[in-house]
Amino acid sequence: MEDFFQKIIELFTTPEYIDSLLHGFLLTLEISFFAIIIGFLLGTLIALIETAKKSKWLVIPKFICRVYTTIIRGTPMALQLFIMFFIIFAIRDFPELITAVLAFGLNSAAYTSEIIRGGILSVDKGQTEAGLALGLSRQTIFWKIVAPQAIKNIIPALGNEIITVIKETAIVSMVGMYDLNMAAKDIGSGQNMASYIVPMFTAALFYLATVYLITFFVRGVEKKLRKSDITG
Amino acid sequence: MVDEKILTIKNLKKNFKKHRVLRGIDFELSKGERVVVLGPSGSGKSTFLRCINRLEEPSAGEIYFHDNLITDKNIRAMREKIGMVFQHFNLISNLTVMENLTLAPVKLKLMSQEEAEKKARDLLRHIGLLEKADAFPASLSGGQKQRVAIIRAMMMEPEILLFDEPTSALDPESIGDVLALIRELADKGMTIIIVTHEMGFAKEIASKIIFIDEGKIIEEGTPKDFFNHPKTPRVQEFLEKVL
Repeated sequence: MEDFFQKIIELFTTPEYIDSLLHGFLLTLEISFFAIIIGFLLGTLIALIETAKKSKWLVIPKFICRVYTTIIRGTPMALQLFIMFFIIFAIRDFPELITAVLAFGLNSAAYTSEIIRGGILSVDKGQTEAGLALGLSRQTIFWKIVAPQAIKNIIPALGNEIITVIKETAIVSMVGMYDLNMAAKDIGSGQNMASYIVPMFTAALFYLATVYLITFFVRGVEKKLRKSDITG
Repeated sequence: MVDEKILTIKNLKKNFKKHRVLRGIDFELSKGERVVVLGPSGSGKSTFLRCINRLEEPSAGEIYFHDNLITDKNIRAMREKIGMVFQHFNLISNLTVMENLTLAPVKLKLMSQEEAEKKARDLLRHIGLLEKADAFPASLSGGQKQRVAIIRAMMMEPEILLFDEPTSALDPESIGDVLALIRELADKGMTIIIVTHEMGFAKEIASKIIFIDEGKIIEEGTPKDFFNHPKTPRVQEFLEKVL
């Protein structure tokens, strides 16, 4: 036990260790942040194509979206990461960060598109019909009626997806990137503290705090959006 | 009154996959007419109504609004003039009552925001729901929702109002309020097509009754003739069951 406290003190008083942890944490946040943005934008685009009214112009885009989400969701994230690193972006000096962001962003897009698609489809058809019957355009109906209602259904699942991405980025240590997970392993290794327990639990706390903060934020947004549901 | 045709429907057909819901409907509607559509459930009454403003795409046939053939290209302009009231009200749940009323007329540039709000307030006051202007639909009772839905359609100053079973989702107490409002519109000369199961109301309000069975109009006439001297056995059987 005494040893344990010793290790805690050692970790938090050795500037190199703190530095490593923070560097790792920063990389985790960077990859997650940009991946989530890409995932959201591309995911929204895919969802819009998939839920758009049937037309001959959209047959091929719809097909591509289907194939894309099927492949991404049907193969392991770690394998997708390897393919990005060792095949598609196996270019000398190509920035690792961009490769990782793309790998996670493109992966997240497939899941996000399903979340958004589900959210859009969950809006009662009668809401669209009311708009149509009044002579409103499909665009107006989407932006004024469907989207605001879909968002309410989307936010909780989207929060979940954000959390998933953040934690999943831990596998970048498999391609040698120095993220929070890798930092914990490095600090705990034989050349450094020679004990994994404290750095790994510390890393866990970092992840946990981040996820907690996001959950807290998402709950707040949910609550705000639910104001039109209040009855009586 | 001059017999001004508002709607002319020729050989309207609608299939859902292999199921033939409407099998050739011919129908004319003149200004000021109040047509009640009766028929057993699944006979195609609602589909008939929904084909008129193209919430369902007809499989065959022609629908003319005045002299204009309704097509996918001009349907939006037509819909401004063809109001619809739904069984399940379909008030926009993320918008307040006031926003429900003003959204379309303002978006479609029929009125300014101020004009629309004034008109909305007048109509709300008229139905006794002015204090609900800033409430969300979820806080209204069924009858209140339906009355707001009716004045939402009226905001557009339509030439026809289509009612798709407007009281079927209501508790008995609210039905009276909603029917009273429809009756009032009828008395003011509104042209109406209404699908309903309220026989008493049908008898009282209709200038013409049409009976649809298996996707065809099998009988039509004045309420008096229809209820007192039904011609076809199918209608006689129907009336025996419901009256």
